[in-house]
Amino acid sequence: MAKQSKVYYWMVLPAFLIFFIFHTVPVFQGMIYSFTNYKGYGDFNFVGFKNYVNLFKDQRILASYGFTFKFAIVSTILVNIISLAIALGLNAKIKFQHTLRAVFFVPNILSVLIVGFIFNYLFAFFIPQIAEQLNITSLTQNILGNPDLAWIGIVIVAVWQAVAFNTILYLAGLQTIPTELYEAASLDGAGKWKSFLHITFPLIASFFTINMVLAMKNFLMVFDHIIAMTNGGPGQSTEAISVLIYKGGFSGGEFAYQSANSVIYFILIVVISVLQIKFLQKREVDM
Amino acid sequence: MKKMWSCLCTTALIASLLTGCTNQTTANEKIHIEFFQNKPEAVATFDQLIERFEKMHPTIDIEQNNVPDSETVLRTRLVKEDVPDLLAIGGNTTYGDIAEEGLFYDFSEDSAIEKVIPDYVNMLNLLGRTNKEDNGIPFATNANMLLYNKDKFKELGLQVPKTWDELINVSKKIQKQGEIPFYFTYKDAWTAMVPFNALAGNLQGDNFIQDRNSNKTTFTERYKETLKKMLTLLDYGHKDNFGRDYNAGNRAFANGESVMYIQGSWAISAIKAINPKINLGSFPLPASNDPSENKLVSGVDTALTMSKDTPHKKEALMFIHFLLEKENSQYYINEQNSFSAVKQVLQKDEALKELNPYFEQQKITSFPEHYFPASMQAANLIQDFLIKGQVKPFLAKLDSEWNKIKARE
Repeated sequence: MAKQSKVYYWMVLPAFLIFFIFHTVPVFQGMIYSFTNYKGYGDFNFVGFKNYVNLFKDQRILASYGFTFKFAIVSTILVNIISLAIALGLNAKIKFQHTLRAVFFVPNILSVLIVGFIFNYLFAFFIPQIAEQLNITSLTQNILGNPDLAWIGIVIVAVWQAVAFNTILYLAGLQTIPTELYEAASLDGAGKWKSFLHITFPLIASFFTINMVLAMKNFLMVFDHIIAMTNGGPGQSTEAISVLIYKGGFSGGEFAYQSANSVIYFILIVVISVLQIKFLQKREVDM
Repeated sequence: MKKMWSCLCTTALIASLLTGCTNQTTANEKIHIEFFQNKPEAVATFDQLIERFEKMHPTIDIEQNNVPDSETVLRTRLVKEDVPDLLAIGGNTTYGDIAEEGLFYDFSEDSAIEKVIPDYVNMLNLLGRTNKEDNGIPFATNANMLLYNKDKFKELGLQVPKTWDELINVSKKIQKQGEIPFYFTYKDAWTAMVPFNALAGNLQGDNFIQDRNSNKTTFTERYKETLKKMLTLLDYGHKDNFGRDYNAGNRAFANGESVMYIQGSWAISAIKAINPKINLGSFPLPASNDPSENKLVSGVDTALTMSKDTPHKKEALMFIHFLLEKENSQYYINEQNSFSAVKQVLQKDEALKELNPYFEQQKITSFPEHYFPASMQAANLIQDFLIKGQVKPFLAKLDSEWNKIKARE
């Protein structure tokens, strides 16, 4: 027995070492840098909590947190509603079920940059042209060029792409529900809506938790969509936290300052994920 | 498990901030020199020049390295103290920051520095230098200008404007005849910096940056006219000024959708690629009403420099001297539609010829933005200002952003 458990340790060790060297060590390095005035190169001094104090005084940082949360919450809710609806549809007895499942998965395998490029074109030329012909004046201009609307453009693209993956998870969840339950429910006179509310939804609650947490975490870390579509603009209206860390930390030469920002960002994401899991797991039921 | 997953990903994100990509050259009989270069459109031109050089020096192998978003890559490489042997990079704050760190070679004793126009050497040194060293040699320069469609000008009976009022009059005439005067591409924030630099370079007054640094002046005091004129120009754009990007603008101007286009010399090859038959002309944006005061805003597009610690100092210097030879500099600026920092090498392109007097009479001033701290990210601020259209609060904002960054340093 003792011999066997040693083998398991050896199996875990390489992964642990690689993870430790390439992930954990840099994290601590970053944390140390956040207490310095390091530019990313050259000499540096320790400055204590100066970076952290400045973070809370920086309107731009606060605005980026505001944008990221607004974006993440709206997108998470939309993704879960839409993907659950699609999953229910694809789980029902419909024609071309398998083909349709494949089609709905396509957005997930496309690169964000390509998707961003296509939507950029749609927003700049296609939609305004249609809007002009239909006389919808509010849409005749590129919404990505409007600071009040640009975030909606990004939500549309992010949701469109994220729905694919969450649909697959919901589909898997729906297939774990035994059909007898529905038969029993219909004998008792329950309609479609009632059986969804009292059978389907409670039984896929654990999948709902996973999807909510994954979607929220992904959207809080949104980066490529923004780089591909607006690069943080117009103005700073779509500057997500990760975009700001990247731009300010490297192009802006404020490595230490943005390291402090990423430490806060890291703590926030951990806290939110833990809270979400705690809250949502309470609602789960066991079969 | 899910908690772990989220930790892992966040960790990965932060970790990715701290790692970069290396490009180590392997040892061989030949001497390998890495040439880090920031312009994707210049890759082929440099390849040609490198080929000529390698023919003359068969033992040297110059490896050109061009990556997207090269400034960020360069900064990430410096995090690991991995400085390329030879560099050709833009003359902006990134250059200045690195030069100040003492990572570049000192050219002040080298004869190469005497081959180039001293104004441009000063521009580089103003950005940043180690002690009193000359850390970079200007190679190619660019300029902000007003490109115009010569055929349309003739068709509408227009003259090249020499003053700000004339420019506005010309724009009004164009609008009256149902054409678009300017094609703005403000979806890409950086394109707003072209008119901004052209105006501010002429209107901000002497020694603005030095005085701003020592708190003797403010944006509020010196930038009002620049910002007002930026807003005035907006009246002569098209109907979706903030919805079109640089590529869309090049296409629209090339196809004659607008009569003028405020851009830099770098846009010309892109425009000509779309419409080779376009009859282009150019003039500096006349910022003030005194024609003798109006200067061309020009900056160092490519500065040559090398690592202080490169093991191949001699060979790297040879390549720099090779590039500065008149014939090679001329070849480069012809291919790139840029201007030369090498003395007496002039641009002969039909579209740019009109600007030569400004170079000959040294009526040149630098890009103000190049002296702003990079973390200010002025482009996005200006874009935001143009959308909101309020001068006073924005002047205060420029000052407060500047102060905030200086306080963080």
